[in-house]
Amino acid sequence: MSDFLQLLANGLVEGSIYAIAALGVSLVYALLRLVNFAYGDMMAFGALIAYGCNGPLHQSMVVSALAGMAATAVLCLVLDVVLWKPLRARRAGFMSLFLASIALSLLLRQGLLLGAGPQPEAYHVNPYRVFVLGSVRLSEAQVIAIATAGATIVLVALFLARTTAGQTLRAMADDRTLAAIAGVDVTRATQLAWIVSGLLAGLAGVLAGLVEYSFDPNFGFELLLPVFAAVVLGGIGSAYGALAGGLALGVAEELSTWSGFAGGVNPTYKPVVAFAVLALALLVRPQGFFGRARVA
Amino acid sequence: MSTLFSGDFWAFVGVVAGIYTILALGLQIQFGFTGLLNFGQVAFMAIGAYTMAILVVKEGWSTWLAAPLGIAAAAVGGLVLGLPSVRLRSDYFAIVTIAFSEIIRYVATNEDALTGGSQGTIALGKVGTAAQYNTQWSSFQSRVQGWLGFSSSDATMLVIVWLVAVALLALTALAVRTPWGRVLKSIREDEDAAASLGKNVFSYKLQALAIGAALAGIAGLFYAWEFSFFSPDDFEPLLTFFAWMILLLGGLGRVWAVPIGAGVFGFIFAGTRFLDFAPFTWFGSDQRAYLRLIIIGLVILALVVFRPQGLLGRKQEMVLE
Amino acid sequence: MTALLELDAVAKAFGGVRAVDGVSFSVEARSITALIGPNGAGKSTLFNCVAGATRADAGRIIFRGRRIERRPPHRIARAGLARTFQTARTFRRMSVVDNVLLAAADHPGEHLPRLVLRPAAARARERALQARAAELLDLVGLSAHAQAYAGTLSGGQRKLLDLARVLMLEPALVLLDEPMAGVNPVLRGQLLEHVLALREQLGITFLIVEHDLDFVMRAADRVVVMNEGKLIAAGSPDAVRSDEAVVDAYLGTAHGAAVPA
Repeated sequence: MSDFLQLLANGLVEGSIYAIAALGVSLVYALLRLVNFAYGDMMAFGALIAYGCNGPLHQSMVVSALAGMAATAVLCLVLDVVLWKPLRARRAGFMSLFLASIALSLLLRQGLLLGAGPQPEAYHVNPYRVFVLGSVRLSEAQVIAIATAGATIVLVALFLARTTAGQTLRAMADDRTLAAIAGVDVTRATQLAWIVSGLLAGLAGVLAGLVEYSFDPNFGFELLLPVFAAVVLGGIGSAYGALAGGLALGVAEELSTWSGFAGGVNPTYKPVVAFAVLALALLVRPQGFFGRARVA
Repeated sequence: MSTLFSGDFWAFVGVVAGIYTILALGLQIQFGFTGLLNFGQVAFMAIGAYTMAILVVKEGWSTWLAAPLGIAAAAVGGLVLGLPSVRLRSDYFAIVTIAFSEIIRYVATNEDALTGGSQGTIALGKVGTAAQYNTQWSSFQSRVQGWLGFSSSDATMLVIVWLVAVALLALTALAVRTPWGRVLKSIREDEDAAASLGKNVFSYKLQALAIGAALAGIAGLFYAWEFSFFSPDDFEPLLTFFAWMILLLGGLGRVWAVPIGAGVFGFIFAGTRFLDFAPFTWFGSDQRAYLRLIIIGLVILALVVFRPQGLLGRKQEMVLE
Repeated sequence: MTALLELDAVAKAFGGVRAVDGVSFSVEARSITALIGPNGAGKSTLFNCVAGATRADAGRIIFRGRRIERRPPHRIARAGLARTFQTARTFRRMSVVDNVLLAAADHPGEHLPRLVLRPAAARARERALQARAAELLDLVGLSAHAQAYAGTLSGGQRKLLDLARVLMLEPALVLLDEPMAGVNPVLRGQLLEHVLALREQLGITFLIVEHDLDFVMRAADRVVVMNEGKLIAAGSPDAVRSDEAVVDAYLGTAHGAAVPA
C-alpha cells in the first residue's frame, strides 16, 4: 500500500507539471487555433535559461526560474510578431500552422543545442533533502514542483475568472469574431495569450528540469507528447480539461508501474501507458473530457 | 572540398533522395490526396526494415520472402494505427500518429530480445555475434553491378532505387486518376459531403493509410539495405518531418512533384555539408550539424509563409483551400 | 399505402437544449413536403437526424420500410436518401464534372479490388457516367463550366451543381436544405421548375426546408411546421397558412418571415 501511495504522490507531481504545460498549450489553441508543436522546446528553452542563471551566474532558484519564465514569454511574443502574425495575415490554414510550428520546434531545439550544447545540466538543489509524509517520501524538488504548480493553477484560475484581462481571453476563446465586434482588442489579447502561455511553458520547463535532476535540450520534445496527450485527453481548448488531463495522465503513468497491477508495467514504458490511456479515452469520447465535438 | 565533385558522394545523395521519394510518395497519398495528417510516417519505415531484418537473421528466411512480408507488416501497421484513430478530428489524429511513431521507436529500443534494442540490428543475432541481414541483398547488388558494368556500388544502388521509385510513382499517378482516386480527393476536400454521396469515408481513409504505410515500408527496406545496419534512433520523427518538407517543396497533391521535392531537399541537405567558408568556419563540426538543421528549418518556414503551394503547385489551389 | 419516410417521436438534445422534441410525421412518395418554422425551430437538426449526420437521442426514422436512425450517413445515401446542404458543399478543388461523377452510385471503378480485377467493367461504367454527367450539366446549364474548379462557381451556380449531383444519385427521396437561400429571383424560378420536373418525370420525393414562403406555397403539396423543437401544424399550404399556432410562432419571434396574406 505504501508503494501505491508513493506512486500516487509521484504521479501528482508529474501530473501537475503536465497540467501547467497543458494549460499553456490549450490557451494558445483556444485563442489562435494553433497547435504549438514547439511548446516542448519552449519548455526546454525556459529550463536552460534558468540553468544559465542558476549555474554560471549563481542566482537562486527563484530568481532563475523567474528569469526563465520571462525569457520564454518574450520568446513567444517575438515569435508572434515574426512568424504567427504574418501567417495569420496570409490566412494560413490549420495545416500550414501545424507545419510551421514543427519547423519552429526543429529550429528551437537545434538552436538550443548550438547555444548550450548537448550535455545534461542540473540545477543547484539539494538532492538528499527529503520530506516524509506518512509512508511517502518526496524530494525537495518534487515538493517545490507540486507546491508551485498548485499555486500557479489557482492563480491562473483566478486570473481567468476574476480579472478583466482573463475574461477577455475567455471571450476570445469562445468566439473570436464576436469578441472583436464587442470591442475586444484582439491584438492585445493575442499578446496576452502568448505571454501567459510562455510563462507557463517556462515554469513547466523549470519544474520538469528540477524533478528530473538533469536535462538536456532534447528533453522538451520528450515531454511534449505526454503534454499533448494530456491536452487531447482533457479536450483541446479547455482550461479545466488541460488540468484534469494533465493530472490524470501523470497519475496513470506512475500508478501503471505498481506491482499490484499484475506485476506492473515496466517503468521504461510509462510514456506508452500515457498514449494507451489517451487512445482508450478517445475511443470512448472522441472529443476529450471537456472538448467540443467538432472543430469549430 | 574534394567530395563536392565526387561522383560517389552525389550517387549516395541520389540514393537517399530516392528513398525519401518513396517515403514521401506514401505521405502524398495519405495527405496530398486524402487529407490525412499523418505525422508518424517514419514508424512504417521502421516496421518494414525491422520485420525484414528480424526474419532474415532470426528465422533464416530468404531476403526475397522477408522483404514482401516487411511491406505487408508496414501496411498492417497502417491499419492498426488507422482503425481506432482515423475518425478523430484532424489535430487529434495528427497527435495520435506522432504518438504511434514514438511508441514504435520505444518498443524497438526496449525489446532487446526482438529487435536488438538500442544497439541496433547488429545485436539481432546470438550474443557476441554481429548480425548481418544484408548478405543476400549485397550479392544481388553485386550481380546487378557487374551486369550494368558499373564500378561503384552506390551508382548501382542509385539505379535500383530509382527504378523502383519511378515504377511506384507511375503506378500512383495512374491510381489517382481512377474513380477510386477521385473518391480519395473528394474526402480530402469535404468528407461529410463525400459521405452524403454514399462514400464509405472510413474505409477509403484506411486504404490510403495502409497503402502509404506500405510505401514507407519499401523505403525502410532500401534504407536497411543501403546502410546495412540501423538502430531505433535512425527512425526518429525528424525523418517524417523531412518527408513533409519534400511534399511542401514539390507541391501537395501532385505525384511527380515528389521526386523534384526530394531532389531539392537532398541537394539542400547534402549541400549544407559544404559550408566550408566564413562565417560557418567559426563553428566546430558538431555545431555545424545543428546549423544545417537550423537552415533546413528556416527553409521550411520560408516555404510555409511565402510559397505554401510548393515549387510546382498552383496558387489558385491554395486560395481555394 | 405506407409512407416513403416516417418519423416517429424523434428527439435530439444538445446540452440542455431540446433541438428536436418528439417530432412525428410522414412523407408520401412522389410528394413535395415543405418543412417550415422560425429560425432555431430545429429544422436543420431534424434534417441531420434523418440524413444520419447526427444521431437522434430517441425515436424511429423509417425509410422505405427500414429503420435508418442508427445508420451512418453513407449507408443512408446508398439506400436512396440524398441531401443537400444549406451552403452547397461542392468539392472546391475538383472540376465541376468530377463533382457530378462522384455522385454516381455503385461505380466499380471506385473500389480497389474491382478496379484491379475487372478494369474493363470499370472503364465502361466510367464512360457511360461521363456521358450522363455531360447530359446533366447541360440540363442545369453548367456545360460551359464542366472543367472549371467548382470553387470558382458563383453561389447560384453551386446550387445548380448540387442539383446535378442529386440527379446523378437517382435517389428516391431528396432532403433540400434551404435551396433558395442566397439565390437570385431568376435562378429561384429555374430551381422551382427543376424540382417540379424531377417529381413529375422521375418520381423523386422532396422534403424541403425553406424560408421562401412563396416557393413553399407554389411547390408544396403538404407543409409541416416546427417551432421550438415541436411540430405545431401539418396540412395543405392553405390550411397551414391560416393556422393560429403557426401565425403565433412566426409573429411571436423576432426572426423569420411574416406569413403572407
